[in-house]
Amino acid sequence: MQPCSREMQAMNSLLSPTQQIPLQDLQPNGNSGTHQAQIHNPQFDPTSSHDDFLDQMLSTLPSCPWSDLKSPWDPPKSDETPPSNHDNNVGFHYDEILASKLRQHQINGGGGGTTAAMKMMMQQQMMLPGRLIAAAGGGGLTMPLHNDIVDGSSFKSPNQQGGEGSVQALYNGFGAGSLHGTNNQSPNQPQHFHHPQGGNMQTQSFGATAGTVMNQSQASGSTTGGAPAQLKQRVRARRGQATDPHSIAERLRRERIAERMKALQELVPNANKTDKASMLDEIIDYVKFLQLQVLSMSRLGGAAAVAPLVADMPSEGGDCVQTTAGGGGSLQRNSNGNQPSANNDSLTVTEHQVAKLMEEDMGSAMQYLQGKGLCLMPISLATAISTATCHSRNPMINKGSSSNHPLLQSNGDGPSSPSMSVLTVQSATMGNGGLDGSAKDAASVSKP
Amino acid sequence: MNNPHHLNPTSLKSRFTTRFLRALTKIRAQKPISSSSPTEIFRRYRRIKVAADKSMAYSVRSRRIWSRAMLWKLRSRSYRRQDPCSGRRSGKTNQAIMKKSSNENTTTRREDGVGFVEEADELRQLVPGGETMNLCNLLDETAHYIKCLTTQLFSPIGKG
Repeated sequence: MQPCSREMQAMNSLLSPTQQIPLQDLQPNGNSGTHQAQIHNPQFDPTSSHDDFLDQMLSTLPSCPWSDLKSPWDPPKSDETPPSNHDNNVGFHYDEILASKLRQHQINGGGGGTTAAMKMMMQQQMMLPGRLIAAAGGGGLTMPLHNDIVDGSSFKSPNQQGGEGSVQALYNGFGAGSLHGTNNQSPNQPQHFHHPQGGNMQTQSFGATAGTVMNQSQASGSTTGGAPAQLKQRVRARRGQATDPHSIAERLRRERIAERMKALQELVPNANKTDKASMLDEIIDYVKFLQLQVLSMSRLGGAAAVAPLVADMPSEGGDCVQTTAGGGGSLQRNSNGNQPSANNDSLTVTEHQVAKLMEEDMGSAMQYLQGKGLCLMPISLATAISTATCHSRNPMINKGSSSNHPLLQSNGDGPSSPSMSVLTVQSATMGNGGLDGSAKDAASVSKP
Repeated sequence: MNNPHHLNPTSLKSRFTTRFLRALTKIRAQKPISSSSPTEIFRRYRRIKVAADKSMAYSVRSRRIWSRAMLWKLRSRSYRRQDPCSGRRSGKTNQAIMKKSSNENTTTRREDGVGFVEEADELRQLVPGGETMNLCNLLDETAHYIKCLTTQLFSPIGKG
């Protein structure tokens, strides 16, 4: 419901008497078009597919002159001439009509006597997303169906929180997969992932339902026509219209499977695969990734003592984390010669920040790291990588202070020396058992 | 509810967090943390992992096939540890039951007619209890399983 609420706010702000844009500047014709665009653009931030549509529609408004508007309502303006007929794209007309109505009300001062018209316009505005998308899809028959579907699928995206988005963003980078520094997305982007996915979802479910509706309409048409034809000879049934109970059951099964796949597509990142087989592969990899993360988190919990949320002994957990961070910090100073000083300071600050975040919530710590373009990785892997690329100019840095996460991304800032990871091995409280295990994890995570 | 993390006291997230927290306090009360030998760490890790799995499965109860399968696995494992003979017995009978149900519903190598046999098999190995499900239910269970795994990862406990 987010887009609808945003539009409501926009409508309210537009219709309120206190406006920043002076009313007296509004002219009946050409200027108001540009003002309209100015009014609308700051209100609608295009972060959802609904708003993208609306923004597109509304931005095309200034280009078309007001005389082109077809207005079923008789406007009080005498300047507006009846427009030419546009046969296609009913949605454009709705929007233009609405915009013209809006503008008129603005010019008239948005008075109290027009509350009924306001409510009607609000309703129109609420129905707009559904209608616009329906119009874009083509077929006036299917409009009421699509309202439900669009609302249903749009419900899913607001439910997902930003936290899950960061897991998916991590998984994206992990899937992109090379160990040589891919640049990570900013923290704002995880939220953006959902909306393009939501948009894809809607358009896909859109196309699927349009297809099925078409099929149904065709089926209803052909069954009536097919009955007399069966007397003469057996007509081969068209695709998607078999009357054989086995094939009907098959079709039902396939449809149900397709439904479930779509639901899964929303949960899993990188869901833009059209092929079902590759989508299944993606799902499998994501489940494996999540299981590994859970394992590694419990391992981290086992080694470094339970989180300070447990009321008994909060200090111990803090101590463990602090020593590793301190170890990391001292290491930075030790290996001063290898790195530029600016990196040193920022790294220690980052490490302290991450250590603090890890005490309260692992999720936020991971988000913070990802926002910086860093990740955690097991020390054994880091050692292997640094020895392999020691001579190449490819710079890599890793936060070896928390050594047990098998996340396989890295981003380069400055060269890392093997001595750094060795010292963190010694200072870490994890011990050798954890490292062996994490080495195994690291081996299993890399793709064959 | 003055806890900012839990929006809904009966949601999956809050149920899991309460249970997991309880289990963790129990684990913490059992052993001192000073022991840092690798075996001790590993044992502790196992206990925490089992606690996480158990609290997640109990939060979902028997509403899902995978939670039932996970609960059965945990129970059979604990029985086996306590008493090896009884564990074998119960394991055998349970396996017989599972095999029988799998033969009734399906063959072990499913040909669903949709053509995703290898991927489906791999998914079945990942999701607990997946061997006995047809593709439709398997996808359903996978969706719920993914949702629960992300709840575990982003619970405020953080496991860190």
